[in-house]
Amino acid sequence: MTMDITQLAPQELPARVSELAGAGARLVQISAVALPVTAAGETPAVELTYSFDKNGALSHQRLLAAPGGKVPSVSGVYFPAFLYENEIHEQFGVDFEGMAVDFKGTLYKTAVRVPFAVAAPVKKTPPPANPGEPQAK
Amino acid sequence: MKTTIIPLGPQHPVLPEPLSFDLVLDNERVIEAIPSIGFIHRGLELLAPKRDFEEFVMIAERICGICSFMHGMGYCSAVEDVMALPVPRRALQLRVILAELSRVHSHLLWLGLAADAFGFENLFMQTWRLREDVLDIFEETTGGRVIFNIVKVGGMRKDVDDATLARIAAKLESIKPQLKQITDVFLNDYTVRNRLAGLAVLSGAQARELCVVGPMLRASGVAEDQRTRSPMYAGLDWEVVTEPDGDCYSRCRVRVREIFQSINLISQVAGKMAADGVAVKAAGAPNGEAFFRAEQPRGEVVYYVRGNGTRFLERFRVRTPTFANVPAVIKLLKGVELADVPTIILTIDPCISCMER
Repeated sequence: MTMDITQLAPQELPARVSELAGAGARLVQISAVALPVTAAGETPAVELTYSFDKNGALSHQRLLAAPGGKVPSVSGVYFPAFLYENEIHEQFGVDFEGMAVDFKGTLYKTAVRVPFAVAAPVKKTPPPANPGEPQAK
Repeated sequence: MKTTIIPLGPQHPVLPEPLSFDLVLDNERVIEAIPSIGFIHRGLELLAPKRDFEEFVMIAERICGICSFMHGMGYCSAVEDVMALPVPRRALQLRVILAELSRVHSHLLWLGLAADAFGFENLFMQTWRLREDVLDIFEETTGGRVIFNIVKVGGMRKDVDDATLARIAAKLESIKPQLKQITDVFLNDYTVRNRLAGLAVLSGAQARELCVVGPMLRASGVAEDQRTRSPMYAGLDWEVVTEPDGDCYSRCRVRVREIFQSINLISQVAGKMAADGVAVKAAGAPNGEAFFRAEQPRGEVVYYVRGNGTRFLERFRVRTPTFANVPAVIKLLKGVELADVPTIILTIDPCISCMER
């Protein structure tokens, strides 16, 4: 199925979200996916998808949160975003700047720190095209 | 100004599931409400990469015991979108019937809880007595009263014959007079109306700004319902239920009217069932991603799945209606009397199992 996805840099997010809010779009959800890592123990980058509804049509704004990087909070524009951002912070370790309500990592009080950020499997190196050749890096 | 902080929950007589609010009060008036969740977080989404995608539907159903069919259906529909599976029309019709039955039993459950919360225990008992009839239908058709295990990727695990469906529709029509007798109390009784009318008003503009969904949104006059965009409901005669006032009474009215509407939808579908089978084989494995939206009893639910061509999904996520509605409660509680807080929280029909997953 086709999806309306726009790729953004984190710093472009506030302006884009303000634009959507001004156009009357509703924030439907924010989701995160920990991308596969190439080596065990490596911290994965996290892909964030912000979904909006405008007159029944769903569109998505997608950006990559690098390990250790910060993402601007959109809870100043869409107040309910604080709940999604707190959840993603706790489950994936993404830091959001300027959340309207900051639970400081105590939303779910999970015993394991950032449990979802280690869920993605280690990306396997593809096998050589011909036996005997060195493996692709 | 001297303030007092009163903790409400996580265990409270009106809360069927644990949810906590720290209420900052000036005398009896709430000036701030700070929610706290996490008492029943299970991390079910984390199991998706560890279970075969066809088996995962059983975990999806266990997200919640009230919306279990809807979660199974939503998960399967999202995977079917990724795999572009041509689900038979009969399977989609059976899904509509079970989804609407879920709405009837969920709204009856809520009405009972609401009656109990404002001290009308006989009304609570009578409402739940009628809900038992709906659960009996679930048991007859699926074998379960809470977890059904009847939906699968590609369609349904088993068929329900036309004669049984006609009998179910007739049974639901036959309980309408009793339903009307009970719901008339919710709509017309002086004490009930006095307790709910004008309380915690959310205007249509505020509801949109706070991104609320479901009966809470429709009670503020906004005609938004994911069923209007679903091909499963195409060709059925129905319209979105709305109420204009945005208060607790309007939220109650919307749910009451939706019960009767769901029964009508079931009768319509049961009368024109297709005969093209109930499932197709889910050959291969999902490779790609999809968002699927459905209208649960509590409102819009969003399922996201991402597959990588193996039998194990890379990611499964659910945004449940309660997750979308809780931020609005924070705003609604500001300025209300302490005694009204439990009733207001209840009128969003919170489902914490869904919210925390």
